[in-house]
Amino acid sequence: MLGLFTVVIAILAGIVAVTALAIIIVRVVRGIRRRKRAALAAGPRRALLAFVADNGEEGSHDLVAIPDDAWRAVEPTALALLGKLRGEAHLGLVSVFLRRGAARAALRDLRSRSRVKRARAAQVLGDLALRQAVPELCRLLTDRHPEVRVVTVRALGRIRDPAAAWRIIASLDRPDPLPSLLATHALAQLGAEAEVTLSAALDHPHARVRVVCLDALGLLGATGSMPRVARVLRDDTVLDVRVAAAVNLGRLGTRAALEPLTLALRSFRPAPLRATAARALGVLGAPSAVPTLAELLDDDEFQVAHEAAHALRRLGRPGIEALIAAVAAERSAGAGAHARPSASDGASVSHAREALALSRVGSGPVGVAA
Amino acid sequence: MTEAVREILRYTDVAIFTYFVGLNSSYLVLMALAGLEFGKHLRRAPFAGTDDMFRSPLTLPVSAIVPAHNEGAGIVAAVTAMTSLRYPRYEVVVVDDGSTDDTFERLRAHFDLVEVPRVVPGEVPYRSEVLSVHVARANPETLTVVRKTNGGKADALNVGINLSRHPLICMVDADSVLDPDALLSVAKPFADDPLRVVACGGVVRIANGCKVLGGRVVDVRMPRLWLGRIQVVEYLRAFLLGRTGWSRLGGLVVISGAFGLFRRDLVVRIGGMATDTIGEDAELVVRLHRHLRGLRADYRVVFVAEPVSWSEAPSSLRVLGRQRRRWHRGIAEILRKHRGMILNPRYGRIGLLSLPYYLVFELLAPFVELAALVLLPLGLLIGAVDVAFFWRFVLVAYGYGLLVSLVALFIEEVSFHRYPRWGDLARGVLAALGENFGYRQILAGWQVAGALGALHGRRAQWGTMHREGFDTVVESPETVGVGVDR
Repeated sequence: MLGLFTVVIAILAGIVAVTALAIIIVRVVRGIRRRKRAALAAGPRRALLAFVADNGEEGSHDLVAIPDDAWRAVEPTALALLGKLRGEAHLGLVSVFLRRGAARAALRDLRSRSRVKRARAAQVLGDLALRQAVPELCRLLTDRHPEVRVVTVRALGRIRDPAAAWRIIASLDRPDPLPSLLATHALAQLGAEAEVTLSAALDHPHARVRVVCLDALGLLGATGSMPRVARVLRDDTVLDVRVAAAVNLGRLGTRAALEPLTLALRSFRPAPLRATAARALGVLGAPSAVPTLAELLDDDEFQVAHEAAHALRRLGRPGIEALIAAVAAERSAGAGAHARPSASDGASVSHAREALALSRVGSGPVGVAA
Repeated sequence: MTEAVREILRYTDVAIFTYFVGLNSSYLVLMALAGLEFGKHLRRAPFAGTDDMFRSPLTLPVSAIVPAHNEGAGIVAAVTAMTSLRYPRYEVVVVDDGSTDDTFERLRAHFDLVEVPRVVPGEVPYRSEVLSVHVARANPETLTVVRKTNGGKADALNVGINLSRHPLICMVDADSVLDPDALLSVAKPFADDPLRVVACGGVVRIANGCKVLGGRVVDVRMPRLWLGRIQVVEYLRAFLLGRTGWSRLGGLVVISGAFGLFRRDLVVRIGGMATDTIGEDAELVVRLHRHLRGLRADYRVVFVAEPVSWSEAPSSLRVLGRQRRRWHRGIAEILRKHRGMILNPRYGRIGLLSLPYYLVFELLAPFVELAALVLLPLGLLIGAVDVAFFWRFVLVAYGYGLLVSLVALFIEEVSFHRYPRWGDLARGVLAALGENFGYRQILAGWQVAGALGALHGRRAQWGTMHREGFDTVVESPETVGVGVDR
């Protein structure tokens, strides 16, 4: 028994010692590798920075001639630079990568069995903005691993080839779809040429697809699609889609958006839609919306009254005057600042006072009891 | 009679022995899972897309809610750091919960606050009175400071939730300093898996001893006091590795109130923070699980290991004791409140794995530890167990425990290696050894007191903690230490 006990003690002590030793070894090895990598990268990094500083005009041959092990050490820096550079410097650095065979390797890795390699390859192709890679990347939009799909859609956004638009939209219509916000951003990055595809997809049977396309059109500032967006706001059967349409009508910022947004404010419409429409009118910046918004200051729905007040604030002088008039008219109602609103305590004036005070921040004293 | 007592004692000692084998083995399993998760995280860093997220106009905006009660020493530095995080769109809502020190005055002077008559919606209930709402004159959309009567941390958070405007809410302690990319990292799971991620916790590390400049931790060091160093090892083992392991298992039930991000709509739907428990942060997560499992929703509560929130740890036994009593009381209250979930298959992994684990290996651990301290020597004295058993027990409870702590240090060294100095590494190893001599035993005493406090139903209070405070560039241009190093 004592023998067994001694053995157990020895084993445990051994494991403890090995673990402590392993910590030391890991640290020593990391230090050696870091120094080695720093030494390898020092020269190429100087060449890389000189190349970039020279706007990519000189030094590309030197970068292409860097031995593979030294390039591997400096590659993370080069990739990070790719994402930050624009214009000639970016094109020059892309050319260096292409001449070093980075695109070939990445295209090959898109078919790797490792999901990490596939995702890394998609990332590199996106950084290189390589249009030839778009068909292969579109294939990865249906990859079985979500992380690969996420990296791929971001890469397609950076490449900015409008040909990818319908494939991105199609990838939203699957049981395990792409995250909406990533898809929206990628679609918006594709530019004005994608507008036709996005506009056509507003009739897609899936509400989620319609919301993504509405948001992308709004980000693109696709004013040509305004009538279609207005139609969605009026006719769509799904509330979330109509709310998205209202948001993006505000973003599009055309005078023609005023009427559909005003109609969306009618009291029999759902409160989230009315609140969004009120906010969108503020974003739209049309002074002719002031009377409509002023009427909403005493709306029974907290969010609608709140958004109307702040929309008036955003509309500048005419809106501010409407807020002042509302506060003056209801001053005798006696609603306190920081009140918990209820339907009966004159909360409308609280919203107006709040918006008015915020409008005055930075432009003189703020009248808390205005 | 003596023989019967001896037999009972023998079986009890064997049970305690088995318990410690199970406890330390469970830590090792969680650490192994965390190690796998870190490997996965590091391999994916090159294509994580954090920069894309920063540039995207669609990245979900965040409201960071900072409850503060007598935090005058460090509030300006903490809020300054909060307002300069790398994130496309966010606001900071500081809720001054009836401070009796100069917390608000310091904020008002530094950020040029102006009072605005904000309407406080009652989306989640709060019981205190909002005295005034202020915004920064230069940036009214970014910083809001609320003054209210004292109502406790949960109540302060509820007021903050009501005043928050964005779809994601981040709860941050006022004594915390966030890494610049902390919000981006903790919000990333919401961008990558928006339909399922409902909450995300960030890792909390100890700032004592670190150098802080301009509200940023710029040089990571071990605390100078052994009490702080032991807590560093403890945080590594329990917070970083333990929670990452639970996240990997899909059974995370604790997101620290010091740094966690939640979907606002869900928090509002379940009624905000509970004011009837001192562990409101963990309780919120358990209630989220309860609500969503009840709806049979497909959702995820996740944990990100990097970057981090740096928090000032107690540097005296008195303050540490108060903190640990509070924490353990919180666990006891949560388990009592949600006892219907324990071993209930309706709640899946949470009901069948996480909560039973917390009951057996978290709540009961200090009771067993103290029982072992009494019963084992007693068993030895009356001959219920022999010397060999006694030594085996010491090995399992302390030797195995030391091994677990060393494995935690090893995984930290392989993955994030935040402590670059050899001296700090040595201090970490020594702290892992030293925590077994006195610290664990005192800790168990405090924890038992906390759990019993919950049992007796004494009123829970937001404990005050003496802060040394962070430095600020404005007040002191040179880099100085935090906490005990000042």
